[in-house]
Amino acid sequence: MPIDWDPIWLTLRLAGITTVLLLLISVPLAGWLALSRFRLKPVVEAFISLPLVLPPSVVGFYLLLAFSPTSAFGAWLLQTVNLQLVFSFEGLVVASLIYSLPFMVHPVQAGLENLPASWREASYTLGQSPVRTLVRVLLPNCKPALLTGIVLTFAHTIGEFGLVLMIGGNLPDQTRVASIAIYDEVELLHFDTAHAYAALLLAISFAILLLVYGINKRVTV
Amino acid sequence: MIQIGVVLPRLFAEGATELQVQVALESGSLTALVGPSGSGKTTLLRLLAGLETPRTGRITVDEAVWFDKKEGINWLPQQRSIGYVFQDTALFPNMTVRENVTYAAPKDQFDFVNELIEGTGLEPFVDQKPGRLSGGQRQRVALARALVRRPKLLLLDEPFAALDAQSSQQLQQVLVKLHQRWQTTTLLVSHHDADVQALADRVIRLVEGHIQSDELIVNRPIDPLMQERITQIEYDENRQHWVIETTNSRLQSVIPAWGQLKVGDILQLAGITQEMSVDRGV
Repeated sequence: MPIDWDPIWLTLRLAGITTVLLLLISVPLAGWLALSRFRLKPVVEAFISLPLVLPPSVVGFYLLLAFSPTSAFGAWLLQTVNLQLVFSFEGLVVASLIYSLPFMVHPVQAGLENLPASWREASYTLGQSPVRTLVRVLLPNCKPALLTGIVLTFAHTIGEFGLVLMIGGNLPDQTRVASIAIYDEVELLHFDTAHAYAALLLAISFAILLLVYGINKRVTV
Repeated sequence: MIQIGVVLPRLFAEGATELQVQVALESGSLTALVGPSGSGKTTLLRLLAGLETPRTGRITVDEAVWFDKKEGINWLPQQRSIGYVFQDTALFPNMTVRENVTYAAPKDQFDFVNELIEGTGLEPFVDQKPGRLSGGQRQRVALARALVRRPKLLLLDEPFAALDAQSSQQLQQVLVKLHQRWQTTTLLVSHHDADVQALADRVIRLVEGHIQSDELIVNRPIDPLMQERITQIEYDENRQHWVIETTNSRLQSVIPAWGQLKVGDILQLAGITQEMSVDRGV
């Protein structure tokens, strides 16, 4: 029973790129949320958390409208940077960034908020800026939270289905990720192939979680 | 000179509703802030550090205005020249002792860092992480770290609270040595009278957010081997006490006999309490 490995590689590529980009975006965002006294912070937090409660089809629908070349934003993207986000890998990455954002931000924010306030205050009284405090003192002391955010984001992106279907459709080598491939194979009654994909995803997910829990136990500051 | 006049809304156990403190600290002094739990001692330190903001008031350090509500001045903690030793030490667990001390050190101050490490007796532990240190050692690291930027004001929040008698004694010796060496104006919060008597030259008692008493300590225990030449002597009319400055120390007393001392005299401060002899012209 030969299987097409492309959906697996595409899934891992999507999850890897999404995780790296979200790490870069979420660390400063989580740092700001954890340390800021900004009055409208709850509004920002609510926006970030929306994907947790909304059905993927709702998020996908609005992103589809926004990314469509007929929308102002979609048309602008197409004209200025020649980028089409609907039915493209780039679109999947952007959608995944939005959909997985709370899975990275929440653990990191919680990790930072759980650190003793005196560490941050000590750094400030030593003349150090909030950014240097975050980089040198706070982040190194919440490695487990960072690791949790990385794993949750990666695993969540691997398991995306509804959003991927809405934004990317089912284009081989471009948007046909493993979860879509499983759905396709089941529709075609190719249960053996579907089983192979499903078992692979299961094994990959379990291996990642096992690795993380193993590392997390050994992480000491 | 550090001038403090601050008001902060705060509910105290007995019903007082604001912390209100008006006090001046002389440069180079070591003042103890004592009082029952919840009387506002730590809050006052935090106001001075800029970690909390008074509702009204003014804080000036020498010529610099750190806080003035009327003028809309409120320096960030980073802008204030302070060293703060937190009650829990707040050492950074991801860094070694040396890294903690050098974290905020100016780049060209390696000799000073080494001097601080030596002065606090931390050489044997410089490569260890704080988690492996005893309470007294951690406090000494916190003290060295707080002094590394040569602050104008050193704030010590209950540094002896969690220490046994021996560790407390060691820390006191380090503190006295560093204070004599650099004369950093220091405000020490403590519950222990013994610490206060041994270290401070002035004691302010805070109760319910208000100063209940403000006393100078004379004849505090001093190193019996210390001999110092008097460089200046004057009588402070306002405070009605003698102020003697020696090569390394600044002493204050209300004892009239101090008026017989002269510049150039060698002070031999004998014993651990009250004896004082003067060796003129040596």
